Amino acid sequence: MTPAEPRNAAHGGGRVVVFVYGLLALAATARALAQIATRFAEAPLAYSLSLFSGLVYILATVALARSSRGWRTVAWLAISVELVGVLAVGALSLAVPEDFPDETVWSQFGAGYGYVPLVLPVVGLVLLWRTRARSPERGSG
Amino acid sequence: MLVLTWIVVALCLALGAWAAVRALRDQAVILRQLFAAGAVEAVLLVQLLVLGVLQARGAQVDDGVTLWGYAISMLLILPAAAVVSFLERTRWSSVVLLIAALTTAFLQYRVLVLWSA
Repeated sequence: MTPAEPRNAAHGGGRVVVFVYGLLALAATARALAQIATRFAEAPLAYSLSLFSGLVYILATVALARSSRGWRTVAWLAISVELVGVLAVGALSLAVPEDFPDETVWSQFGAGYGYVPLVLPVVGLVLLWRTRARSPERGSG
Repeated sequence: MLVLTWIVVALCLALGAWAAVRALRDQAVILRQLFAAGAVEAVLLVQLLVLGVLQARGAQVDDGVTLWGYAISMLLILPAAAVVSFLERTRWSSVVLLIAALTTAFLQYRVLVLWSA
């Protein structure tokens, strides 16, 4: 009988998703730190957003790699924030480009990163959904 | 500098192709691939050294902090894939190695652009 526990999202193909999250976390955080260290005054909004997105990616990476219920909740939240972030910042960066003189991970819907920032949260949410706890009576399809 | 970049890119693409073949055959990463990744890391370290020497000798770079950020970040990616290949003994470790190799090659390209700027 399948227990009603969630399965670990970080297995098999899920491992690939966690790895790509780790890459994005590294890319966004490192870039934001470099930008803030060298030229924060040029684009404070864009660089603060860069750092924020980097921290959210770190959180999502850690949360996805763990399987407890608490961490899964964190993963749901972090990944939802990412999806909202990339959609909002993507739209804003096109609507008011003067507020975004330099790129962030989320600018233009993540075009600078091959749209990975746009696709990844969707993949992450699907992964969480597919590994969610299911009650045994409904079967383990 | 330029030669080293192309060596890394060539090695990474070869390693990526190897990983892709194994992923398609439903095979996990093997130790020989990790040795190859180690060779890439060795070239990356040499590159870091060369970068440091060239800058110490007064080579001008527009955005040194970002350049070093790339150079150091790059060192972390293949080892992370190596950790995954120990944890995940399925074809998915090969997919992770493929992504890691391609990312490293891409970052080399970015370093090259920054360096020539």
